Amino acid sequence: MSSHRLPEPHGTLIDRSRPITLRFEGRDYPAFQGDTITSALLANGERVLSRSFKYHRPRGTLSMMAQEANSLVQFPGEPSVRADTTAVPAGIDVRAQNYLGSLGHDWLSVIEWLSPFLPVGFYYKAFYKPKGVWKYWEKLIRVLAGLGRIDERTHHGYADKAYLFADVAVIGGGAAGMQAALDAAGAGAEVILIDDQPHLGGALNYARFDVEGRRGARLAEELRSKVAAAANVQVLSDAVCTGWFADNWLPVMQGQRLYKLRAKSVVIAAGALEQPMVFRNNDLPGIMYGSAAQRLIRLYGVKPGHRAVVATANDAGYAVALDLLEAGVTVAGVVDLRAEPSASPFASAIAARGIAVHQQHAVSEAIPGPGKRSLFGVEVDAITGRGVTAGRPHRIECDLLCTSVGYTPAGHIVCHSGGQLVYDADLAMLVIDRLPGGTAVPAGAVNAAFDLDAALAEGAHAGWRAAQLAGMKVGTEPPRPAARAGAAGQNHPWPIFPHPRGKDFIDFDEDLQVKDILNALADGYDDLDLVKRYSTVVMGPSQGRHSALNNMRLATVGAGRELQGATVTTQRPPFQPELLEVLGGRGFQPTRLTAMHHRHLELGAQMMPAGVWLRPAYYGAESRRGENITAEVRAVRENVGLIDVSTLGKLEIRGPDAAEFLNRMYTFAYAKQPVGRSRYVLMTDGTGAIADDGVACRMNEQHFYVTATTSGVDAVYRAMMRWNAEWRLNVDIANVTAAYAAVNLAGPKAREVLAKLVADVDLGSEGFPYMGVREGHVAGVPARLMRVGFVGELGYEIHVPASQGEHLWDALMSEGAAHGIRAFGVEAQRVLRLEKGHIIIGQDTDGLTFPQEAEMGWAIAASKPFYIGKRAIDVQAARPLTRRLIGFALAAGTTLPEECNLTVRGEEIVGRVTSIAMSASLGKAVGLAYVGPDQAEPGTRFDIKLGNGTTIQGEVVPVPFYDPENKRQEM
Amino acid sequence: MNTPMTPESRPRRSFVYRKLADLGARFVDCNEAAIAASCGGAEEAAAARNLGLADLSPLRRVGFKGPGAADWLLSQGVTVPEINRCAAQADGATLFRLGANDLMITADLGATATLPEKLLAAWTGLENPPQSPRGFPMPRQEGFCWFVLSGRHAAAAMAKICGVDLRPHKFGVGEIAQTSVARLSAVVARADINGTLAYHLFADSASAEYWWECILDAMQEFGGVPVGTEALAVL
Repeated sequence: MSSHRLPEPHGTLIDRSRPITLRFEGRDYPAFQGDTITSALLANGERVLSRSFKYHRPRGTLSMMAQEANSLVQFPGEPSVRADTTAVPAGIDVRAQNYLGSLGHDWLSVIEWLSPFLPVGFYYKAFYKPKGVWKYWEKLIRVLAGLGRIDERTHHGYADKAYLFADVAVIGGGAAGMQAALDAAGAGAEVILIDDQPHLGGALNYARFDVEGRRGARLAEELRSKVAAAANVQVLSDAVCTGWFADNWLPVMQGQRLYKLRAKSVVIAAGALEQPMVFRNNDLPGIMYGSAAQRLIRLYGVKPGHRAVVATANDAGYAVALDLLEAGVTVAGVVDLRAEPSASPFASAIAARGIAVHQQHAVSEAIPGPGKRSLFGVEVDAITGRGVTAGRPHRIECDLLCTSVGYTPAGHIVCHSGGQLVYDADLAMLVIDRLPGGTAVPAGAVNAAFDLDAALAEGAHAGWRAAQLAGMKVGTEPPRPAARAGAAGQNHPWPIFPHPRGKDFIDFDEDLQVKDILNALADGYDDLDLVKRYSTVVMGPSQGRHSALNNMRLATVGAGRELQGATVTTQRPPFQPELLEVLGGRGFQPTRLTAMHHRHLELGAQMMPAGVWLRPAYYGAESRRGENITAEVRAVRENVGLIDVSTLGKLEIRGPDAAEFLNRMYTFAYAKQPVGRSRYVLMTDGTGAIADDGVACRMNEQHFYVTATTSGVDAVYRAMMRWNAEWRLNVDIANVTAAYAAVNLAGPKAREVLAKLVADVDLGSEGFPYMGVREGHVAGVPARLMRVGFVGELGYEIHVPASQGEHLWDALMSEGAAHGIRAFGVEAQRVLRLEKGHIIIGQDTDGLTFPQEAEMGWAIAASKPFYIGKRAIDVQAARPLTRRLIGFALAAGTTLPEECNLTVRGEEIVGRVTSIAMSASLGKAVGLAYVGPDQAEPGTRFDIKLGNGTTIQGEVVPVPFYDPENKRQEM
Repeated sequence: MNTPMTPESRPRRSFVYRKLADLGARFVDCNEAAIAASCGGAEEAAAARNLGLADLSPLRRVGFKGPGAADWLLSQGVTVPEINRCAAQADGATLFRLGANDLMITADLGATATLPEKLLAAWTGLENPPQSPRGFPMPRQEGFCWFVLSGRHAAAAMAKICGVDLRPHKFGVGEIAQTSVARLSAVVARADINGTLAYHLFADSASAEYWWECILDAMQEFGGVPVGTEALAVL
C-alpha cells in the first residue's frame, strides 16, 4: 500500500480486492476498482492533473467534485473528461490537457511571465490594431486557447434514451433528499431519486457531523435501508439531472443514457457547494476544500497530504482538522478567520489535541514548491480589516491546505426553473428567493438548512408537500423547521485577501485574479453581467460554481452597491457537460422498404432515397452506370421492363360524395368519369401553384382509388383531411400507400407477359384500353390493373396487397424471362418519361409554378365552380405569362447542361433547365426548361449558361419527343 | 398450422420473414402465409415471459373505417369498446377501436377465430348493399405489421422507444395508445397473454424491418429475444 492510501474503513467506494491500473501521461499507477482518476493519482502522490487555461499553471483538484476546470483531462476522442468523478478507465492512456512539452514542464507557462502585460480586456484592445491584424493573431490564439483536443474521426459510440415517469422527482440523494423521497413515497407517490454519487448519502458519506465521526455514516446507512425497502422509490445513482424544462421535464444523464423524466412535482435537494478562499497562489496543487479532503479520506481511502494547515471560517473546518488527524495527517495549525473563537465541540476537540489555532488570521499567500507543482507552506497573517491583513505574516510549512470558508447552494435547478438566488448579507450567503411554477420544493443545504436535523425535517416536509402537489392524498402536514437553520456562521463575508503581486485567483477556470475584476470595473463595466462578459469570469466550464459568489462580492462592493439582495448572473442548462453523443442518443431514421426491396438487392440494384423510401436507381455496377441505364431504357422500348412503383402514394376515396370531393381537391373534372377508367389528377394549392399529381381510378360510382407522388402523398392526405373537415362531404379518406405493392410492366411485349399470368381480365386493346382500370388476379393474387403511359409504351400498372408484392414480382420476372424482361430503376424511368415530355412534380415544377406555365392547362376544368386554387389560377390566367416550360434538343456534340443550369437572355435570367438526358432512343440530348414566353415556339434557339460560365444553345422542339402520336402506349 | 414450410412457398409473406429466417425460425402455415412458430432459441416460452418479440403479421386482420362503421359492427353482433380500447370477441378475435368509426378486428394467436373474414364477407358479399352508412373495409392486414412484445421487461423496453407511460399499473389491459414508437406512428395496445404482459404493436408495414430492429435493440439490455407463436401459446 502506498504511503498515501489509508487503511479501512477509509475508502467506502473502493474495492481493495480488485486492483486495477490507471495509465496517465504514459505511466501506470496502481489503483482500485471504485477509484476515480483523481483519487488514483493522489493515492500515488501525483497532485498535478492539468495546466491552467491562460497562464498554464499546474493545477490539482480543488473540490474532488469536478466543480472547476482543474480536473479536466483528455481521453482519446473525448476532451475535458472530469477526472474527479470519472472512474479509472480500462485500457486508456489518460492525458493531461493544455500544455506544450510535458505536464511537469510546460513551455507555455512562460505566458505567466507576461501576465503584467495581459490585463483583463486585453484581447479586446490589443489584437485589432493595426487594422487587419486580428486574423493573424487569431490563428495563434486558437492554438494556445481551448481545453483538450477534439478528434473528428471519433466513432459515434452507442448511447440511447429512455423515458421515465414519476409523481415526485427528488434531485439529490443526501439526508434531505432521501428523507423527502421516503415521505413522498409514504404518501403514496411514485418517486424517482436522482443522485450523482455511486452511493446515496451525500455529505453523510464523507463529512463529520459529530466529534466521534459516526453519525453521518450511521444515518446514511439507516436512510439507505429505508429507501431500498420502499417499493415505490426508484433510485438513479451516478446520475445527474442537468437541467429543468417546462412542465417538470428533467433530463437525467446516467452513463451513456439520457433519461427524459417527466414528474408531477420536484424536490430540489441538490445540496451546497463549498467555496474557495482567495489569496496569492490559492491555486497551487495541494490547496483544496476541506470537503475535498474529507471525500478523499472517507470515500477513496486517500491521505490528501502529510502536513496540513486548515483555514476556516466555520465549525466544519475543525471537523476537517479532526478527519485529517484521524487519517494520520499532521495538522500544523488551524487558521480561523473569525474574530471570536469557536465554541463548537469540534473546536474543543482540536484544542484538546493541542493544535495551534490562529484566531482572526488568514492565509495571505501560499508558497509554492518547485515548478509550482506543489505546496511548500503558507504565510499566515492577522486580519485587520475586510480583506486586509497586518503585513506581518509568519510561515507554516505544509504540503496541504484545506479551506472551509463557506458554501453556495447548488441552485442550478432553481435557476433553470426561473427561480432566483439572492445574497443575504446577514448569512453572507446566496439563498433561494423564489421558486416559480408551484410544483418544486427545496430542501436541505440548497435551501440553507445546514443543521442536519433541520435538513431531515425539511426533507420530510418537502416530501409531504411534493406528494400533495403531485395529487396524492396526504396526511397531516409535518412540522416545518425554522428556515435556514444552521446557516448562520457557515460563510465568511469576505474570504478575499488580494495580494499586491496578484495570482489571487477568483476564477480558476479562466485564470482571473482579483485585479482583473477590479480592472473590469475600472474600465466602466460596473454591472455584474458586464463584468462577466468583459472578463469572462464565471464563463468557464464550471459556470461560476466556485467563482460566482466571490466575484459577486468583489464586483458589487467594487461598484459601490449594496450586497444585500444582489443577484448572481443567470445559470442555464446544462449543469454539467453533456456529450453530444448522449444527447443524440440512438438515432432513429425510419426507412420504408417496398415488398420487392430484397429482390432489387439480389439483382444488384443501386438504391437511392425517395423521401423515406429506398428505390432502385438502376441495376448493376456503379462503374457502368450509364450503360446500365441505357440498357434498361432499351429493354422497355424494345421488349419489356418491370419497375417497382410501390412507393407511389395511394388513397381510397369512398362514399356518396367521392366524385364531388375529387372535383374540389383536383383541377380536372371527375363527376362524369366512367367506372373502370382512370383520369389524371393535378392538385394546386391556394395560390394556384402545382402541388401534386397522379391518377384517379374509378372503381365504382362511390369509390376512387387515387395515386399521388411518393414524397407528396402525406401532404396530400393531410390536405384532404383538413379540407373535408371544413366541407363535411360524405366520404371516407384513407391513406393505403403501404398496403399495396405496385409495379409497372411496360414495353411492347408487356401484354404477352401479363397474359400468361391473368385469366380473369380481357387484356386486349379494346377490352382493356389505354387509361382503363380493371380488377382481377395476376399470378393468383388479387390485383388492380391500370393501363398507363408514363414511360410511353404499352404498360400495365399492377397494384396488389403488399404482402404479395414479392410473389407478383417473381412471377412477372419469371414469365418475362423469355421476352428479355429487365428490371428498370428510377433513372431509366426518368429518361423514358422525359422522352415523352411528362413532367415530374417538384423537378419540373417548383413551389410557384402554376399550370399554364407548365403547359398543363389541359388538366384544368375551367367550367367547374370550384377547386382549390381556382381563383388564383383564374387571376394568373388573365395575365401574360412570364415563363413557359418547353421541350428542347441539343445539337450533336454539345456539352450537356446540368439540371438547374440557367436559361438566360444576355444578362437576364429567364428560367432554368429542369430535366436533361441523352436519349438513346432519339439519338440526341433532350430536356425540359423554362424560357421566356416569346421563346416558346418550336425552332427558337435560346441560351443555357453552364456551371463553368460558358453558354450553349438549345432549340425548342415539340413534345412528346418520342412517339408524338402516342401510338405505342395506346396499342 | 403445424407443418414446417418456407415463407417463399406462399404468395403472402410477412414483412419481416427474412429477419426471422436468418434466425433459423421454424415456419408453419397460417392464413395463406408462413408464420414463425419458433425462432430457433431454446426455452422460448421462458424468453417470452422475460422479454420476447414475436411477429404476428401473417395473422388475419381487417379494418372498417368511415361513417357508420361502429354501428354496422354492432349490428353484426360484435362487442365494440370505447375509443382507444380493445375487446376480446366471442370466438377469440380482438377488436381494436382506434376512433369513433375506425376499428380493426384481428384473429387470435392460433388463427382459429373467423370473425375477421366473416365480417369482411358480410360487408362485401351483399349483392344489394344497404344505403345506410356502414364504413368501408381497410386493408389493415397489409398496411400494418403486427408484433407482440411480451414479458416482465416489456414496459422498460418500450420506455426506450416510446414516450407514453406504458407501465402495467398505468396502462391497463385493454388500453390503446396511438403514438410514436421509434419515430414511427404506431398503435400500441395492451392485451396480455394468459397473464403475461403483452403489448400488441401495429405500424406501417413498409417500415417493418426498420421497426423490428429498433425494438430488438431496445430489448437487448434485458436479454430480450425474438420468439415464435408457440412460445406465446404456452404462456
